[in-house]
Amino acid sequence: MDKKLLEILEDIQPEANYLTCKDLIDGHYLDSLSILALVAELEEEYDITIPTVEIVPVNFNSAQAIWELVQRLQEEG
Amino acid sequence: MLIISSYFSLAFLVIFLPITVGLYGVLPQMGRRLVLLGASYVFFWAISGKLLVYLLLATLLIHYFGLWLAEIQRRSDALVAAGEKADRRRLRRQAQTRERAVMALAFLSLMGILVTLKYAVFFTVNVNDLLQALGSTVQLTPPAFLMPIGISFYTLQATSYLFDVYRRKIPADTNLLRLALFLSFFPQIMEGPICRYEQTAGQLWQAPRLTYHNLSFGLQRLLFGVMKKLVIADRLNLFVRTVFQGYENYDGFVIAVAVVCYTIQLYMDFSGTMDLVMGTGEIFGVTLPENFRRPFFSKSISEFWQRWHITLGTWFKDYVFYPLSMAKPMKKLTSRARKVMGNHFGPLVAGSIALFCVWLGNGLWHGAGWHYIFFGMYHFALILLENLFDPFALRAAQALGISRSALPYRWMQIARTAVLVCIGELFFRANGLWAGLAMFRKIFTDFQLTTLWDHSILSLGLDKYDVLVLGVSLILLFVLALFQEEKGFRLRQALAQRPLAVRWLCYYGLILFVVIFGAYGAGYLPVDPMYASF
Amino acid sequence: MTYCKRVLSILAFSLGLILLLSGASLLFLPKNNQSEFGMEEVRANGILGEREDTIDVMVVGDSEAYSSISPMQLWRETGYTAYVAATSGQTLDYSFLMVQRAFQAQKPKLVILETNAVYREIPKSKVDISMLGKYFSVFLYHDRWKDLAWTDLTEQADYTWTDDYKGYRHSVEIQPSKDTNYMHETQEIAPIPKVNLSYVEAIRDLCQENGAQLLLLRTPSTLNWSYAKYNGILDLAEELGCPQMDMNLMNDQLQIDWNRDTRDAGDHLNAYGAAKVTRYLAGYLQETGLFQDHRSDLSYSPWQEALKRYEAATGF
Repeated sequence: MDKKLLEILEDIQPEANYLTCKDLIDGHYLDSLSILALVAELEEEYDITIPTVEIVPVNFNSAQAIWELVQRLQEEG
Repeated sequence: MLIISSYFSLAFLVIFLPITVGLYGVLPQMGRRLVLLGASYVFFWAISGKLLVYLLLATLLIHYFGLWLAEIQRRSDALVAAGEKADRRRLRRQAQTRERAVMALAFLSLMGILVTLKYAVFFTVNVNDLLQALGSTVQLTPPAFLMPIGISFYTLQATSYLFDVYRRKIPADTNLLRLALFLSFFPQIMEGPICRYEQTAGQLWQAPRLTYHNLSFGLQRLLFGVMKKLVIADRLNLFVRTVFQGYENYDGFVIAVAVVCYTIQLYMDFSGTMDLVMGTGEIFGVTLPENFRRPFFSKSISEFWQRWHITLGTWFKDYVFYPLSMAKPMKKLTSRARKVMGNHFGPLVAGSIALFCVWLGNGLWHGAGWHYIFFGMYHFALILLENLFDPFALRAAQALGISRSALPYRWMQIARTAVLVCIGELFFRANGLWAGLAMFRKIFTDFQLTTLWDHSILSLGLDKYDVLVLGVSLILLFVLALFQEEKGFRLRQALAQRPLAVRWLCYYGLILFVVIFGAYGAGYLPVDPMYASF
Repeated sequence: MTYCKRVLSILAFSLGLILLLSGASLLFLPKNNQSEFGMEEVRANGILGEREDTIDVMVVGDSEAYSSISPMQLWRETGYTAYVAATSGQTLDYSFLMVQRAFQAQKPKLVILETNAVYREIPKSKVDISMLGKYFSVFLYHDRWKDLAWTDLTEQADYTWTDDYKGYRHSVEIQPSKDTNYMHETQEIAPIPKVNLSYVEAIRDLCQENGAQLLLLRTPSTLNWSYAKYNGILDLAEELGCPQMDMNLMNDQLQIDWNRDTRDAGDHLNAYGAAKVTRYLAGYLQETGLFQDHRSDLSYSPWQEALKRYEAATGF
C-alpha cells in the first residue's frame, strides 16, 4: 500500500489504526466531512476524479479498500 | 368490527398479519409475491382509502422514468461508442445533458407531489402572515389536502431508485410488480426504514418459503417492539404530555425531566415500531436495513446521526450531501479553500454549505413548522462546531495527557452528546418555536428541586408504581444494549440455544409483561406511532 | 414429521397462552363492584349488585339516559324494576359490555338503548380493547396491578353494592334552552358509523339470545338531536327489526318545558324533565303488558327502602 495514503489518512483522522481497521465508516471513524477532505486530498494527490457513485462505505471502510479505489480510478482515468 | 389503524392495532396484529402469513405459507413463489403486494395495497387502502392513487402514481412514475433513463443511456452509449475518438467527449456531454433533464423532470414530479401535499398549508399561512405584515388585506385560503400514509417515506425510496438508475448503479427495472412491491411493502410503508432498491427489491421478489426459524425470530422481535412502545413509550407519554402542554406551571427541574423522558419516549416509540417492522419483514424472509444502532452510545452528534434514523441520514448523505459537495463548482471551492485554510478547515467550507442543505431538508422533512427547521439548524450548527473544534480538542487532550480512547473520556463524550440530543428534542416536541425557547429558558432560570423533595413530581401523570415499572424496564434494556455494544451479544441467537421450556417461559413472561404493564385502556390516551405522521 | 411437531407446538403454545390469560383475568377481576376494589363506573355497575333475576328493564346509554330516566319514580308508579347502566360519554362498545355483564345475573325483558350513543364515534383503540376484554378481562383491569392484594389470588368476585338511585343522576339546576324548534323535518339521514352499526347489531343479537326485547329510545335534548339523526335511527330500527321511540317528536304528550326542564340549556334534562320522561315511559311500559308489579312482593323490600331514601334525599 501507498505510504502517502497512510499519511493523508493519519492527517485527517489520527485516532484509527489504518493497518488493521476494517470499519472506518461503519465504526464512525470517518464522518461525511472527513470523507470530503479525504476525497479532495486524494483527487489532488493522485490526479483522479472520484464520482459520487463511488462514495459508498465499501470503498472507504479500510485503507486497503481506499487504495484499491484509487488504483482503479487511475487505470480508468 | 376491527379496523387497521397502525401496526399496534389489534386488527393488524391478530387478523391482517396472521392471514397474510397464512396465505404466504401455503402458496407457491408467484403466489407469495402477489400476497405481499396485495396485502400491502389492502393495508394502504385500509388506512388511506382512495389516496392509494398517489402511491400507484409514484409507482408508475418511477417505472416509466426508470425505463426512459435506461433507454437514453443505452442509446447515448451506442452513439459514443460509434463516434470518432475526438468527438466522444462532446457526445458524452450531450448525452449527460439529456439524462440530467429527464432525471430533473422525474425528481420534480415526485417531489412536487410531496411538497404540495405536505407544505402547501405551511406556505400559505406564512405568505398570509407576510401579506398582513406588509399591510395587505389580501389573504390566501390554505388548501385542504389529505396526505396518504407514508408519503414522506415512499417518496424518498422512489427518488433514490431513480437516482441509482441515473447514476448507473442499478439497471432500470422492467418489472412493474417488483417495483410496486419495493415501494409499498406494508411493514415499512408507514414509518420506514427508507430502503434502497438494491437492499429490498430482490429479497421481496425472491419471496422465500415461510420457515419456522424466520417466523419465530420475526415474532420475537415484533413482540419486543410492542413491549418498548406499549410499556415504556406510552407510559412516559402521560408525564411528557402534562408538562409540555402546561410548561408554564412547572419549574425548570420538571421541564428538564420531561425533556429527558420525551427523548426516551421518542426513541422507544420509534425504535419499538422499527423492531416490529423488522420482525414482520423477517417473517417473510426480508432483512430490512436497520434504522437504529444504540444511538445513545454515540460520542458525537455526527455519530449520533449515523446511529439514529439511519436510513434517513444515509438518504440525505447519498442524495443531497455528496452530490452537492462533489459538484464541480463546489470541488473548485474546496481546492481553493484548502490552499488558504489547510486540509482540515478547507473542505469544511463547501461541506458546510452542503450540510446546511441537508439539515434544512431534514428539518423540513419532519414537518412543516418553524420548530422543525430550528431542530434541523440546531443539529447543523452542532455538527459544524464539532468539526471546527475537533483539532483543538485533540491538541488539548494531547497537551493534558488525556487519552481520548479511555473509558472515562468516552463516557464523558457520550453524556455530552445525550444532553445535546435532548435539547434538540425539546424543540422537536414543543408546541411551536416560542414555547420551545421559553421551556429552554426555564430550565436555567427556574431550576429548583422542591417537586422532588415533596414528591409532587409523582402527581404529574406517573406515580411511584409507574416509575418503578419504567425504571426496571429501562435498566433491563440498558444492560442488554451494553452487552450488545461491548460484547456483540445477540439475544435471540442466545435464546434459541436454550431448552424449549426456558424459551416458552420467556415468551409467556414477555407477553404477560406487556398485557399487564402496557399503558393502554381506561385512563390512558392511545398514542399513535410518532413517526407515522411525518 | 417435523411439520406435525411444529403445528402441535404452536397449538400447545397458544393453549398455554389462553390458560395464562384466563388465569390473569381471574386474578385481575375486581372482587367487588366498588371503586375501592378497582371497579370502574361504579354507579352503572351497581346493577351487578342487584339480586339475581330481579331487573325488568335495563337502560344503557350516555348521560342523556341517566339524566332522563329515574328508576325509583318508575318503581313508585308501576312497581317495575329498572336499572340505568349509563355512563357519561358512553360509547357502544361499553353499552355492549354492560348488557353482556347484566345478562349473567339478570333476565330483563326489555333493554332500552338511549340512541344518542349510537352516533358517538368509538375510538379505534377502544374497539380493540373491548374486543379483547370480551374474552379476557385482564385487558380491562390490567391497571389494577398497582393495588393488587394477596386476597385477589384466592377470592371469588362477589358483587354486593347497589345504587339507591339505580343509576339515575339527580339535578334540579335550571338553565333554559331557547332552541325549542330544533326538529326541522328533512329528508336528510345522518349516517351512523359502520363500527357503531356492528355494535348495535351485536347488542340486538345478545338481547335475542337472552329473550329480551330491544327498544331504541331517544330522550329529549335540543342540543344533541336533529331530524336527520331521527331519520338515521328510523332506518336502523327497521334494519334491526326492533321498535324505536323518539321523544323529541312527542312533545304533545310529554310536555317538556324547555324553560324549566333542562339543567344546561337543552343538553340534558333536569329532575323536572326526567319526571315527565319517566312518567311517560311508565305508561308505555304498562301498555306493553310485559311486566308485573312487584310492590307487594316482600322479596323486593330493598327497593321500597331505597325509594324512601331516594324520596327523602331528592324530594321527588
